[in-house]
Amino acid sequence: MNSQVEKTIEFQIRRFSPHQNRCYTSTFGVPARKGMTLLDAFMFIKDNFDGTFAFRHSCRMGVCGSCGVMVNGKPMLACYTQVLHLNSDRLIIEPLQHLPVIKDLVVDLDPFFDTYSKIRNVLIRPQEALRRLEEFIQSPSNLKKYWDLSLCIKCSICYSACPAVLDDKFLGPATYAANYRFISDSRDEGADERLKAMADNIWQCTSCNSCTLFCPKEIRCASSIVDERGLLVETGEIPKTAKEVLTSAVRYRNPMGTHPSKRMDWARDQEVKTFPSTTKADVLCFIGCAPSFDPRSQEIARSMVSVFNSLDVDFATLGNEEHCSGDHILRLGEKGLFEILAEHNISTFRKFDAPRIVTLCPHCFNTFKNDEPYRNERFDVQHYTEFLAEAVDNGRLKPAKKVNQKVTYHDPCFLGKRNNIYEAPRKVLRAIESLELLELERTRENSFCCGGGAGRTWTEDSVPDKRPSVARVKEALKLDVEVIATACPFCVTTLEDAAKVLDVEDKIVVKDLLELLRQAL
Amino acid sequence: METLSHDIVIVGAGMAGLRAAIAAAQFDTKIDVAVISKVYPVRSHSVCAQGGTAALLREGDSHDLHSWDTVKGSDFLADQDVVEFFVKKAPEEIIALDHWGLPWSRTEDGTINQRPFGGHSFPRACFAADMTGFHEMHTLDGKAKTFDNIEFYDEWFVTSLLVQGQSVAGLTALELRTGEMAVIQAKAIIMATGGYARVYEFTTFSHTATGDGMAMAYRAGLPLKDMEFIQFHPTGMVPSGILITGGARGEGGYLVNADGERFMKRYAPEKMELAPRDIVSRAETTEIQEGRGLEGPYGSYIALDLRHIGKAKIDERLPLIRDVATKLSGVDPVEEPIPVRPAAHYSMGGIHGNMRTETPASGFFVAGECACLNVHGANRLGTNSTSDCLVFGAVAGEEAAKYARSHDFQEPSREKVAAEEKRVFDGILGSEGDETVPIIRDSLRHIMSQHVWVFRSGDGLSKALREAKKLKERFANIRIEDREKQFNTDLVGALQLDFTLDLCEVTIAGALARTESRGAHTRLDYSKRDDESWLKHTLAYCTKDGPRLEYVPVTITKWPPAARAY
Repeated sequence: MNSQVEKTIEFQIRRFSPHQNRCYTSTFGVPARKGMTLLDAFMFIKDNFDGTFAFRHSCRMGVCGSCGVMVNGKPMLACYTQVLHLNSDRLIIEPLQHLPVIKDLVVDLDPFFDTYSKIRNVLIRPQEALRRLEEFIQSPSNLKKYWDLSLCIKCSICYSACPAVLDDKFLGPATYAANYRFISDSRDEGADERLKAMADNIWQCTSCNSCTLFCPKEIRCASSIVDERGLLVETGEIPKTAKEVLTSAVRYRNPMGTHPSKRMDWARDQEVKTFPSTTKADVLCFIGCAPSFDPRSQEIARSMVSVFNSLDVDFATLGNEEHCSGDHILRLGEKGLFEILAEHNISTFRKFDAPRIVTLCPHCFNTFKNDEPYRNERFDVQHYTEFLAEAVDNGRLKPAKKVNQKVTYHDPCFLGKRNNIYEAPRKVLRAIESLELLELERTRENSFCCGGGAGRTWTEDSVPDKRPSVARVKEALKLDVEVIATACPFCVTTLEDAAKVLDVEDKIVVKDLLELLRQAL
Repeated sequence: METLSHDIVIVGAGMAGLRAAIAAAQFDTKIDVAVISKVYPVRSHSVCAQGGTAALLREGDSHDLHSWDTVKGSDFLADQDVVEFFVKKAPEEIIALDHWGLPWSRTEDGTINQRPFGGHSFPRACFAADMTGFHEMHTLDGKAKTFDNIEFYDEWFVTSLLVQGQSVAGLTALELRTGEMAVIQAKAIIMATGGYARVYEFTTFSHTATGDGMAMAYRAGLPLKDMEFIQFHPTGMVPSGILITGGARGEGGYLVNADGERFMKRYAPEKMELAPRDIVSRAETTEIQEGRGLEGPYGSYIALDLRHIGKAKIDERLPLIRDVATKLSGVDPVEEPIPVRPAAHYSMGGIHGNMRTETPASGFFVAGECACLNVHGANRLGTNSTSDCLVFGAVAGEEAAKYARSHDFQEPSREKVAAEEKRVFDGILGSEGDETVPIIRDSLRHIMSQHVWVFRSGDGLSKALREAKKLKERFANIRIEDREKQFNTDLVGALQLDFTLDLCEVTIAGALARTESRGAHTRLDYSKRDDESWLKHTLAYCTKDGPRLEYVPVTITKWPPAARAY
């Protein structure tokens, strides 16, 4: 009683034999039928082609969490994914990332499960309450507060997608979500103990959102980490470096610790119109704190001026009235401060007459678009890559010079994973003549975070071999490219540091897309 | 070979195993408990339990009412003293799980909510949406991990139980990662390995539910009881067999035939869709056999219609099945009925034990689906199985702890261990035959699905028994492709198949012998319940020539057998 075969799908399976200590690939053609899951296909392969093929599976209905694998670069549950829904005639199947491989698709889950020993997965209540044989009272609305978080099946897919777990100090998205599930449970009285368990390790999260994007149960791990940080901020029990960032944002309206009067220093030798002397322009350019104050990132801002001038764009900035957008501040858990910053920027935007806001930084872009109160204003906001891609489309952006270089593009998470902007930056790069664009192995939706989000560039770093940025530069080195292009000042900073750490600055340079474009003008 | 030792070893880390571990560890913190499982605990099949857990919590319900429902549901094959004990213990388990953090669904006033369920005459199914077993498992796992005196052996496959002179000495197990065998010595062992419904083609069960513990106990000389009673769940989703909870009917879902008729009115006019599972599954099968099933690409089916329940309530009470039906069958129950058919779901039978979970071998305790403690008789009521795992898991833990305190280790027999090593490594891993696991496994599933299904006959069962015996002979000639020791899933598949061959033989033999229809065991050639001859439990003992059957009486306390109408 099978449905008919729709087509044959090629399964390329990356395998490992522990006995021979050998990695190899097996390729099988699987006749795919409507309704066939990846797990059905694996079992078909095992029964019909190769009995040695090893993978885990049990419930085949998405609740036991056994069958997480990588499929064409994305982690997913084999039993909860239909083969034909993947819309691909060739599927590359690999074991989950970040966990040692035991055999074929079977990974060692102990590092993942061990993280749960750091928290208490049971209600914390005084003994006398537990001795009474009475149910606790919990309203449906209180249940709702943590219900979604309680649906985690511990499949380790988030762990496999997470850049922060490279540092084993970090407990992983699922474990923080589990901790927050109990904190949010009205029956629990152990918040202090629970906060303590993560006070010195939760800061490794970069808010790249990969955990949430790939979770088969759609659990919002990333935002529970932000909420937990919020609670830590309230207690004041946060690392010194994080405290410095927040203090600086309070004092100077930027997280960099630089006096706000220096915000336009980057443009000292340029002619840039600024608010309040200018109150009207076609484009209001929101520079962001890194390109305003950080000497390396200021190059990005200056490149923007050259590129925009070459396109005759009528633009202006908010000058010293630009305050930190607050993206990093919000994700470090300081919601109150974020709101103060946002209110200032919103009121300044209102005073400026511009149909469109263009940001240099994906973090500012993301927060303007997606976080309240900005989101409610429905600003017409673009990241500069979108703005320039439009210019390519309508024929205005035609770089004159060739750039004879092999370049790869690293997707910033706040542009890609959080806002689905993958094509615009590539379009701009392809507009540069002679530039050869090579894709990283982990690219677009499967991209791997540089490690710079959520204030990570200013807070304490891991040792080099546990940094996502180092892993990322190593990945780029495999492509034998000369340039890692990206479109985010924080990605530039982290990746450039990684190149220094790896001592490969002579082999590979990191550039913002604006810098490459200026080169081609 | 390495020899490890623990005061208590629990085999299986599902609901009964974890509950037993907590009870034992709590009973005496100096007792050293090991939990050994072929999967990580939260991968156990118990996470698939959906609809609820039966327990008396509210006024209007009573112990007697829960007992009576259970006894009537069992078609009077349950031991009534055990049932009465069971229903009295169930409520404290609900409270314990609440105290440990289980997100029970709540009423508006914040108390634990309960829903109606098939065969229960009071809404006593405590639930956590439609993921009750999942939440029970994660709660128990969280609690069990708080004890320093529980050690977990995750992904170890137990291959044999060492019973010597009527008491347990330990067991042999393969560490899957290395493929090496070890002996684990124990003063007491609790078997909690679950059911074996994977011997069927169309089943609600996980791939790992292969009844290993039942078969190991049987081979070690312990009798299996009432194995002919297999429950068919009325709502296995077509075509996968994935469980659609009885809670869907508890929330008001209809079963409809091709004529758009709620046909249950002809089979159980009072209870309708909420009749016990044996009755509903027979009704569905009759509808299909008489040509009133709906037709689809995967054969005839019955429609489970939830549309009138409405999106809001479906999302609140049945979110998992909505997601599963949408993702895996392409049917959104908010928009259209779910195609269902009876699916193999539960074994009422299991290792012979009493209400203290003791077995004929001293130091050997049993709990959960692998055990038959005479609670469910010939047909289990929905939501009584999770209660069973919790209640008797706890009992087993305490009983094993008491036993371990007053007994010493026994030296495991070297001969037995050597024989087991030979069986696994030479007999199976190194076997040079020409039979394969998938072919024998699928043939067995086919036989069971053809002849040992909702309706059975003497002819069919005789044929099934002959064929199952032939498959056992063929298995001796097995060859498995993967010859490496490390994480050899091919070897695990063969070991599981070997176990299920014994279990099926026992099931068929018991079904063939029982010339009556009772609960889930329906004989076309003996269509009536026969209390005169068959108000008794079947015990099957392992012999060289197959199972030897004996019978023991049913304990009746308050409720003499009566006609069973719903």
